[in-house]
Amino acid sequence: MKPRVVPFGEGALLVELGDDFQESVVGWARSIADTWETIFTFGPAVPAYTSALLRFDPLRLAPADAEKSANDLVARGQFTTNAGNKLARVVEVPTTYDGPDLAETAERSHLSVGQLVALHTEREYTAYFLGFMPGFAYCGRLDPRIVAPRLERPRERVPAGSVAIADGQTAVYPLASPGGWRLIGRTELTMFDPSTSEPVRVRAGDRLRFVPL
Amino acid sequence: MIRIVEAGVRSTVQDRGRFSHLRSGVPPAGAADPFALAAANALVGNAENAAGIEIIGTPFRFTCDDSRVVAVAGRDVSLATRSRLSGWSSAFVRAGQQVTVHGGHSTRFAYLAVSGGIATGPLLGSRSSYLPAGLGALLGSGDALPLGDADAGPEGAARRIEPTSYDGRVRAMAGPHDDRFAAEALALFFSATFVIDPASDRQGVRLGGPPIAPRAGELQSCGVLAGAVQVPRGGAPIVLLADHQTTGGYPVIATVIGADLGKVAQCVPGEGVRFYRVERDEALAALRAERGSLEGARASA
Repeated sequence: MKPRVVPFGEGALLVELGDDFQESVVGWARSIADTWETIFTFGPAVPAYTSALLRFDPLRLAPADAEKSANDLVARGQFTTNAGNKLARVVEVPTTYDGPDLAETAERSHLSVGQLVALHTEREYTAYFLGFMPGFAYCGRLDPRIVAPRLERPRERVPAGSVAIADGQTAVYPLASPGGWRLIGRTELTMFDPSTSEPVRVRAGDRLRFVPL
Repeated sequence: MIRIVEAGVRSTVQDRGRFSHLRSGVPPAGAADPFALAAANALVGNAENAAGIEIIGTPFRFTCDDSRVVAVAGRDVSLATRSRLSGWSSAFVRAGQQVTVHGGHSTRFAYLAVSGGIATGPLLGSRSSYLPAGLGALLGSGDALPLGDADAGPEGAARRIEPTSYDGRVRAMAGPHDDRFAAEALALFFSATFVIDPASDRQGVRLGGPPIAPRAGELQSCGVLAGAVQVPRGGAPIVLLADHQTTGGYPVIATVIGADLGKVAQCVPGEGVRFYRVERDEALAALRAERGSLEGARASA
C-alpha cells in the first residue's frame, strides 16, 4: 500500500503508511505525529503501528489546508524526529514471574518456565505506541520462540501491574481492566499516575527492560 | 460552592474533554453530547472550556451558596425552582434556592451549567472525569463543588438556544476504512435502521441491525475519535463516544459528523437510528451553524 492521507470525519485525518508492521514505519508514524503536534501545532496526534491520527479544529484550519500539510509531510518520505519528544529513556521493570498463564505459555512453546523467563528478560524492547488504556505501551518484538496468540477467552479482570505477552508483543497493564493478553508476571512499578504532569512511566520510543526478581 | 442535594444515578463533572494526553492512551472523556454542554455554558455566559455537570439519571437537585445563572440542556430536560422552566434556556437562582433538573423517559444525558463554571482542580489539563483511571469522581448527595467567579444578575435569565432535534437521523461521512467494505455493505449501512443496544455507555453506542461485515484481512490498530463507527467481526457497529479508547483495531466504516454526535449519544436503548451520508462541506456547515447559535446566545449576554 502506498502511503495516503484520508479524512477521518471533518476534524481529523488518518495518515496510513502501510499495511504491515515494520519497526522503521512505527518511527515514521511517530515522527509525523510529533511534527503535527509540536511543529505545526495544528492539534493533537495519535501515532500507532503504521498510521497517525492527526486532529485539528476545522473552524480554524480549513480541512483542505490540513490535508495539504499532511500530504506534504508524508511526501518527505521516511524521517525520524525528536520534535517535542524528550530523549528516549530506558525503563527497567522489576518483575516477579508468577503469572497465571506462565506455565501454559511455556509449555505450548516447548520451553521450561525458566527458559521463557530468560528469553523474556534478555531483550530490550521498544515501546511502539500507547493505546488501549492510559499508560498501556505496546512493546516489542518478542523472541520468536515465545510468541503466542492472545487468550481465546479474555479475562474480565486483569490486575494492575500485570506483565503480559501476546502476538510478539509485551506490555504492562497500568490499571485493572478486562484483557486478553497472557499474564506471565507482575510489577509493583506505577505505570500511570494522573497526579503528575508526565503521567506515564513509558512513552512511545522509550526502551523497556524486564528485570526478574 | 454548588451543593448537591440529590446526585442522580451517575453524574460527573465534564468539560470539552482532555485532548493533551491522547497519545499516552488517556481517553478524551468530556461531555458525551458536546453541543448540549456547550449550549448550557453559552446560556450562562461561561467560556467554551468551562466545566459543567453531566447528569445520568434524573432528578438532580442542588443549591448554590450565592446567586447564579444556571441552565440545563440535553434531551427532554427541564429545570424546576418554584416554577418549571424549559431546558435550553437560562434561569437566575438566588443563594440557597433549591433547583431540580428533571428529565423524561428519553433523557440519557442532561448537562447543567452554572455561571462561573465548576471550578474543581484540573487534572492533565482538563476537569473532565474519567473514572476508570481515577480522574474525577462520581458525584454523590452531600457533595459540594467550588464554582468560578461570576457576576450573576437577573438580567442573565431567559436566554435561549434552539435545542438539538434528537430525531434519530444522524449524518456521517464515509471512512476512513470504507474501502474495507463491499459497496453493498456500505450502502446497507447508510440505508438500514439500527436499534440501540442496552449495553451502550459513555464509551460507545452499540447498534443492532443487519450485520455489516468488513472484507477479510488484518487491520493494524490506529488512532480513533468520538463519532467513529467501528465494525467488529460480528458486524454489529459501535459508535465511539467520549470515553473511547484512543486506538482501535476494527475497521471504521463511517464517522458521525461533529454536529450530530449528541444525537447518537442521546439515543436510548430500543430506539432506532439511521445514518445519512454527507460530505465534508455539509459537516463543516453544520458545525458553523452550531457555533453561530452559541455565539448568538453569548452576544445576548
